[in-house]
Amino acid sequence: MRPALSYLPRHTPLHDAGAGAAGVYLGSFVLVAFVNSSPIVLAGAGAGVAVAGLGAQAGRALSASLRWGATLGIFIVAVNGLVVQRGDTILVHGLWLPLIGSTDPSAEALAEGGVLALRIVVVLMAFAVHTACVDPDRTLRLLRPVARRSALTATLVARLVPLAVADHLRLGEAAALRGPAAAPVGRAALARRLVAGSLDRAIDVAATLELRGYARGAPGSARGGRRSRRDERFFAAGLMVAGAGIAARAAGVGAFDAYPTVAVESGWPALLVAAFIPLAAAVPLVRRPRG
Amino acid sequence: MAEALVRTASLSYRYPGGGADSLHDVSLELEPGQFIVLAGRSGSGKSTLLRACCGLVPHYHGGEVSGEIEVGGFDVRHHGPAELGGIVGLVAQDPETQVVSTTVRAELELPLEIRGEPATARARAVEEAALALAIPHLLDRTADSLSGGELQRVALAAALVGRPRLVLLDEPTSQLDPVAGDELIGLLRRLNEEWGLAVVCAEHRLERCLSAADRVLAMAEGRIVFDGAPQDFLRWALASDSALATPGARLFEGAGLHPPPTSVKTARKHLIRRRLASRYAAPGLGPGPDPADTSVSTGTSSLAPAPEASKPKPPSRSPALQVSDLWVELDDGRGPREVLRGVDLLLDPGERVALMGRNGAGKTTLLRAAAGLVDPVRGRISAPGGCALLAQRPGDLLIRERVADELPGSTGLRALASVGLGWAADADPRDLSGGERQRLALALVMAGRADGGLPGLVGLDEPTRGMDWARKQELAAWIAEMAHRGASVVVATHDVEFASAFAERVVLLGDGELIADGPVGEILSGGWYFATEVARILGATGAISPEQGAALLRHQLAGARDEVAAS
Repeated sequence: MRPALSYLPRHTPLHDAGAGAAGVYLGSFVLVAFVNSSPIVLAGAGAGVAVAGLGAQAGRALSASLRWGATLGIFIVAVNGLVVQRGDTILVHGLWLPLIGSTDPSAEALAEGGVLALRIVVVLMAFAVHTACVDPDRTLRLLRPVARRSALTATLVARLVPLAVADHLRLGEAAALRGPAAAPVGRAALARRLVAGSLDRAIDVAATLELRGYARGAPGSARGGRRSRRDERFFAAGLMVAGAGIAARAAGVGAFDAYPTVAVESGWPALLVAAFIPLAAAVPLVRRPRG
Repeated sequence: MAEALVRTASLSYRYPGGGADSLHDVSLELEPGQFIVLAGRSGSGKSTLLRACCGLVPHYHGGEVSGEIEVGGFDVRHHGPAELGGIVGLVAQDPETQVVSTTVRAELELPLEIRGEPATARARAVEEAALALAIPHLLDRTADSLSGGELQRVALAAALVGRPRLVLLDEPTSQLDPVAGDELIGLLRRLNEEWGLAVVCAEHRLERCLSAADRVLAMAEGRIVFDGAPQDFLRWALASDSALATPGARLFEGAGLHPPPTSVKTARKHLIRRRLASRYAAPGLGPGPDPADTSVSTGTSSLAPAPEASKPKPPSRSPALQVSDLWVELDDGRGPREVLRGVDLLLDPGERVALMGRNGAGKTTLLRAAAGLVDPVRGRISAPGGCALLAQRPGDLLIRERVADELPGSTGLRALASVGLGWAADADPRDLSGGERQRLALALVMAGRADGGLPGLVGLDEPTRGMDWARKQELAAWIAEMAHRGASVVVATHDVEFASAFAERVVLLGDGELIADGPVGEILSGGWYFATEVARILGATGAISPEQGAALLRHQLAGARDEVAAS
């Protein structure tokens, strides 16, 4: 089975888009998540990424990122609730835990953790959609003329990740094929073997890059790769989403304060921004009828 | 004479870490437009010489180099692989690590883009390379969705797309089925003739490429031990190292015919001239002499240690493998795809079976299903006595740094002893030879499966990749021993010569379906592609090994002499 977070060529507007346009478009959701603390606006950004992912047939990648995001989010909420000793609404007084000692978890600390978690979920979703829908070769081609060494490293990593995934699957299968009297394969031994194998693979991949002439450097004339007629719409959508997020932040729309008690500005401006983001996200994904 | 494309003078090279010279006092000149086959046993220095010709040795691997080597006028000691990249392309043994981009199109564009070629020139070069290699349908596929054979073609296309003057190939057909292997050699010959591309091809299966070659270089222990025309090479091989001789050459040698043929075509011409060929029907056009006629056919090859009658097949025992209406689907991200479709198969204990078919025919999936690694969507597959499967990369089984740590206790020692590695308990698996590592992997998959470490079914998936004929002989002997002890051994292989050497039965898969199942002599002599060289030369049903074919020819020659004497 193919990993959920691997690029698969498809014929969707996002897959067809140039790496720069797709990067701006998906990056705009990340920007909104970083500059805003309002759970309403963050939910809007999440909805925007979901629209982008579903429109690009990246449902599996979205599901995987949501699963990981939920796991990480629960952890963040729990840690924030236990570590941050602020907030008026104490849920449990004098809760004693090993390592932490006595603590007073509050509803406000949990809410703050929830906002952090929401932000991370949005970032993970955008990353997942980018991984599944944007051809890494185009991204690397974009990067190569400006940062050759970084592009070389990124090329090695981009190639080694699928190789390592394939190696991991194969080593796991090989472990399952061992006879009952063979020593069982522990996780540590398997990980050691995987790392050693990956280093050997890295040497072979680097040798191939060397033969392709990588060491001679990318000429300045190398273009960033194929462009799409939809690139302008992706750039425009990205700028609209980013602009809405920045404007909301600047205007204090959907202001969120966790302490001393949770206060969320949930008037129509925040709802409008939250509704605008997925609508703007959908614009470049809509196919115009022919004729 | 044209200026040499590659020139070496007293070239010696030693990899870092000491040890013997991998190249020793190599002096040669390769001219533009030549098609050169590089022959030699495993570890003879073929790959190192190829790597020296593209600058990876010494620039990438380090080590000590002495003597001179020039490629396209560049001194390799001072110019690295990137500078030689416009002159030389390399296709190494493992295609997985030679594809560095995500999609095939990007892979083919990369070297041109690095050179700064404009987009239109890149697009045209990519299109032409893809057409030449018959891979235009793969251009938008991702590298991780390609089969080994497809990857091999993509790696070759990437090496050729920049129009190098010399292409170096290290066992390019090792992952290809006979059809694709023949196509690839034909394609290289065409590129050689039409583009003037010089080709240096290191191969173990020489019968595939010798007919295309202008010149053969043979290596042993890092030295060039032969340099000459293909026919002279065969004469030399028969006299000096018969493991390097082709089956056709051994056939003629055994029958007392000269000179050794470099191709099926020349062999048939010779037989026609001697009025021998007309005695046999062309493949697929009718039956040849009765293979059951023991006065004609010996029934054994030099590698098949046991004739069919000598191994135990107790009827009371349950079958080693029972497959009934087996359907298997796999999903590579593009939705489920039927890989096996309604396969029925029954293997008895002690059978030696070659599982053959084109790349993607379903051989590996059938073995994996037998080992329980994939579940059928319909039908049943069971190996009642257990199944030990050695997958394509035996090295994946070797995790620890001491052999005895892999196989602890007395059961482990018994398993080691059963593959002849009782002495290696304290060795590091990485210090073992390729053949020993493979046997250790076999011990690992069989350890504790049954009394004596022997399961009912032993599956080997493409075990002969990178093996020379001598190591294949060792493997064939081991398979015969396992079968003699009662295990049914199934080997998925593209190597028809090896199949003819170890198997008594061949199961042929095509597009997930079982398309032929029968005795090895019948299956490997009845077609164009899945047929041994001897079968293609003689076109006689049942005669597939050089020894069988030679016996047949001797019989016919004696008959012809009797006719002459009688008249």
